[in-house]
Amino acid sequence: MANPYMKRAQKLAGKAESAVRQATTPLRNFGFPFRAPTVPRGVEVPPEASGLGAHYNTDWARRPLASSIRGVITEGPMRLAARILTNPEVTGVDRLASLQRLETPPPVIFAPTHHSHLDTGLMIRSIPLVWRRDLVVAAAADYFFNKKWKAIISALALNAVPIDREVTGRKSSDMLVKLMDKGSSLIIYPEGGRSPDGWGQDFKGGAAYLSSKTGAPVVPVFIDGTGSIFGKGMKRPKPGSTKVVFGAPMWPEEGESTRRFNARIEAEATVLGDEALTDYWSARSRAARGESPSLTGPEHTSWRRDWDLADRRKLGAAGKRRRAKRSWPDLG
Amino acid sequence: MLFWRGENFSLERLPADRSRVIYPPEPLAGIEDPEGAIRNALLNPMDADPLPTLLKPGMKLTICFDDASLSLPKMRRPDTRQRIIEAVLEMAAEAGVDDVHLIAALGLHRRMHDYELKHVLGDRIFDAFHPRGTLYQHDAEDYDNLTVIGETEEGEVLEINKRVAESDLVVYANVNQVAMDGGWKSITTGVASYRCLSFHHNPKTLQNTRSLMDRHHSALHKSLWRMGEVLRESGPQIFTVETTLNTNTFPKPFDFLAKREWEWNAKDRATYLATQKSLSAMPVKARRKIMHSIESPYEMTSVQAGFTPTVHEETLQHVYAQHLVEVEGQTDILTMGIPYICPYNPEGVMNPILVMCMGLGYLFNMYRGKPLVREGGVIIMTHPTYRDFNPVHHPSYIDFFEEVLTDTTDPAVMSEKWEKKYAEDEWYRHLYRTGNAYHGVHPFYAWYWGAHGQQHAGKVIIVGGDAPTVRRLGFTPASTMNDAFEIASDVVGRAPTVTHLHVPSVLVADVK
Amino acid sequence: MRALQVRRNVAKLGMARIASAVSPTMAAKMGPLDLRTIDDPSCPGGTNATGWHQVKTRLAGICGSDISLVEGHASTYFEDWVSFPFVPGHEVVGELESGQRVILEPVLGHAARGLPLPFEGASPADGDDYAHLAMDSNGGALEAGIQTGFCCSTGGGWAPWFWAHESQLHHIDGSMPDERAVLVEPLAGGIHAALLSLPSLAGIENPVVAVLGAGTMGLAAIAGLKRYVPEARIVVGARYSHQQAFAKALGADVVVPDSQLQSAVRRQVGGMVVGGQLTSGAHVTIDAVGSNSSVVDALAMTKPRGRVVLLGMPADVTLDLTGLWHRETELKGAYTYGTETLADGSTAKTFDLAVDTANHFEAERLLSATYTLADHVDAIAHAATAGRRGAVKIAFDLRTGDS
Repeated sequence: MANPYMKRAQKLAGKAESAVRQATTPLRNFGFPFRAPTVPRGVEVPPEASGLGAHYNTDWARRPLASSIRGVITEGPMRLAARILTNPEVTGVDRLASLQRLETPPPVIFAPTHHSHLDTGLMIRSIPLVWRRDLVVAAAADYFFNKKWKAIISALALNAVPIDREVTGRKSSDMLVKLMDKGSSLIIYPEGGRSPDGWGQDFKGGAAYLSSKTGAPVVPVFIDGTGSIFGKGMKRPKPGSTKVVFGAPMWPEEGESTRRFNARIEAEATVLGDEALTDYWSARSRAARGESPSLTGPEHTSWRRDWDLADRRKLGAAGKRRRAKRSWPDLG
Repeated sequence: MLFWRGENFSLERLPADRSRVIYPPEPLAGIEDPEGAIRNALLNPMDADPLPTLLKPGMKLTICFDDASLSLPKMRRPDTRQRIIEAVLEMAAEAGVDDVHLIAALGLHRRMHDYELKHVLGDRIFDAFHPRGTLYQHDAEDYDNLTVIGETEEGEVLEINKRVAESDLVVYANVNQVAMDGGWKSITTGVASYRCLSFHHNPKTLQNTRSLMDRHHSALHKSLWRMGEVLRESGPQIFTVETTLNTNTFPKPFDFLAKREWEWNAKDRATYLATQKSLSAMPVKARRKIMHSIESPYEMTSVQAGFTPTVHEETLQHVYAQHLVEVEGQTDILTMGIPYICPYNPEGVMNPILVMCMGLGYLFNMYRGKPLVREGGVIIMTHPTYRDFNPVHHPSYIDFFEEVLTDTTDPAVMSEKWEKKYAEDEWYRHLYRTGNAYHGVHPFYAWYWGAHGQQHAGKVIIVGGDAPTVRRLGFTPASTMNDAFEIASDVVGRAPTVTHLHVPSVLVADVK
Repeated sequence: MRALQVRRNVAKLGMARIASAVSPTMAAKMGPLDLRTIDDPSCPGGTNATGWHQVKTRLAGICGSDISLVEGHASTYFEDWVSFPFVPGHEVVGELESGQRVILEPVLGHAARGLPLPFEGASPADGDDYAHLAMDSNGGALEAGIQTGFCCSTGGGWAPWFWAHESQLHHIDGSMPDERAVLVEPLAGGIHAALLSLPSLAGIENPVVAVLGAGTMGLAAIAGLKRYVPEARIVVGARYSHQQAFAKALGADVVVPDSQLQSAVRRQVGGMVVGGQLTSGAHVTIDAVGSNSSVVDALAMTKPRGRVVLLGMPADVTLDLTGLWHRETELKGAYTYGTETLADGSTAKTFDLAVDTANHFEAERLLSATYTLADHVDAIAHAATAGRRGAVKIAFDLRTGDS
């Protein structure tokens, strides 16, 4: 029955239009400054600096008022939503115990795997309070900061800072270093973006670079299950359970290059992934033998990758519904 | 003065001119990077090769660890044992070792609940090894899995767990909270059999142990070190890891308990009053639950690894550095408040026998040189001493209280007359092996632990305890501290000198 | 005469039962027992007049079964075996006209009813057929009634005098004080129960007998066991400390609080505990309490194919008999006394054994207090709460000539 409403809506719009037209009739006779100016022939107007994307200034979000609002959002609705949607099992936090209990815990760079937008909310919920209080998230400039409303929400709710995905631009990295020197901890996704197909992607060097610049340790984190809940391309989140495994803090060794350090971080994340899906001892044993299953998946293409992905997912928490599994009686 | 009374505390007045109080020393600073320190100790051991060189693929590796009787109270996660064992496992994984068993070295103590194993080892280790059956608890009554290693020159037989005896390498993860533990004691008691333990867990040896915290003057430790020689000669290769703790016993709400009374500010006093009142208003079960949920923020102060005796001497230096308090001379009376927990009731009820064990066994023995109270002096303890037992953890204690203590409180008599019956009772054996019960003979050992104190003191008075129960223990009940001093005056006269032992935290009085 | 009499009054019985939940004093006040002036009973001899005597009461004890009746707890089973209105009191030491002191064996048996004895030398309670107890006899002069003290024709001990047949009377000499003699009847009951354990102990080395409850009957059973079943190890569960002291004084081997009896038995016989029951247990358990829970407890601590002797009079008990069936336990009632067969095969009258036992143990220690008939409310209340109040046996003292 859309049509009668459409008709009515149109009529109303028509009436509104004529009302406005009548009200603005006297103004029509006036020009500039009541109306926008026209540009004279031969003049080229230079494009304005957009103020969005990587250039968006998020300092306002760290002012006291914004911080307290963010505090309320984080501790309240965000945590609740994280629990309802993802029902997380968080392990490995005891690896951070020694750092946590120092008089002044140093800022930490958290480097989680990335399969879903929910990862950030989940991380914020799982990180211990000493770092959670002052946490900055490095978010993709071209996704989170391309529209003004997105920029505002990201900055306010997540304390997000824009970074360029492909190339860590000078400006973003300086900004991050400055924030960390002030004591903030950082969440940065070494994979750069969410996984497109459920398998992990190669780690980029951002976390390693920042660690060597600031002296802060990198804590790799393996998140399992968010991909099935709200992965890339899904329209609506499907609640399920997840597992978050924290790794031990890592510092670059004497004279280690960023590339080497990054490889080490990726290797540790791989072992964490193995640990999350099997157990600690098997993961370490396999790692020592060089047999840890790779996060990026097998070398095949198309259906065989998906096939192997399903096998891998069976091991994990992904998609496990909270409803009790039906147990069929054994009649045989 | 603050006195513990089981799950609550009270403030008591002591005669001003004649009393002295022994406070535990300030907690030492903990190591900032415990994992790093542990790795360092494993890579640079004392009188032994670095651990990675001892690990080879295809070898039998057994890791033993102290059970739930340490630490007291339990420490915050991650436990020291978790840190040690994870470090060892990482090296083992690197070296390709597959055959790894983890054994809780509990001797004749009760089996640990799963949640206790998880607390001590962490979830990672538990989830990796428990489902596989390679994490389990020593069973001193499983004769198929015990082997005799040898005999000392005094005829003491060393009989231990078979898997431990036949391993290529045994790593023992110690939490040396007190000077009594560690060294050769760990393996010769933790994974030993009843037969082996009876050679030194008896009244005669323990009465000559002066004290439990001073191994050079302890008949118990002399026997253990003799067995250690046998172990060294004919046993498996042992790599000991020992760690010491500071005395940071109380977390935030209760930290006023560690402060000396004259340091209490207004806030502390208010907290004390509020805590004491609310605890008094609660039923015992609720109080117990709160107390047993305390997790101490202990910090590791040292870690050393390698050859057992060398490591242990170094450990003792650190233990004494934290615990020793210099004290001049003895007094007529020793007072102490008995807390709600002792090594034999983690997560459980402190029954009357354990009150005796904690008071005359552990607290009395916290000395080096001479006991704090003179021979024939009076010991006054405060504890509610209710006739309450945990039937799951302490079934043989219930019968010991009813049957043995009604007959005699003399350790020598009870060891002759009753010990065998309890040690061989099928029901207690069944509960020890399959349930979470202490071994049938354990109440005897708890009693023998206090034998030295019992022999030394002229009178023992319990203030605030249930009178018939206190009498059955062979002690004198008193309602208030003043009454106790009245009763004591029969033995020590009207103007006795008093020492108050302000525990916890742990201390060792070096008495000149 | 003025005597305590129980009139049949269902309402009062009901009220007494309810009131007993509040306090025994209330129950005693509201109950069907009252001190009244009643007609002197005429000789119940009737066609069998010889052999009946008037007995002047000296001391008359209060028994658990009396209290049960007075408080309305007694089972309706007894409807046909008592005749209302009656004067209670069956534990009596009295005096004949001649001055001879006697102890009453209260069962109104064959001899008293003029019927042939079941066998040579039978006691009043012997015999395989109880019919005569529920019928009128002696040409109607003696109505139905199991015992003196439950029969309207004879009178009873809680009165200045009553009628008794010579088959019911045991003569005692001057060496036995009244206070000791009044304990003889309960002792006989206990000895009878103790001797009922003999068949189950035959041929067993180191037998263990558990006794649950150490009131008068429990202590009587212990005395009986100590004297006539000497090889048994006696383990007693007694709730109150004075009862424990008495049990020890009588010679029990192990005395523990009643809640600990099961563990104490386990310590003696070994074995394990499964589902709250001992896997082995005592060879014989004597239940001297007779409540709902005591029977259950007794079954749980008796070994398979052992015997539970019910000494205390139970009422309506709800019991899951699966354990009994599985363990092939024998459940045996123990009522009064009669002629016993001892361990060596000889026979004796229980009462004679009881007199002997009373003298041996100086049973007057168990008599804790006496009251006059006028103070019957206090007396019943005291007897009902004897354990809690540190008493064992309470009795009425009529020697001062109460009227």
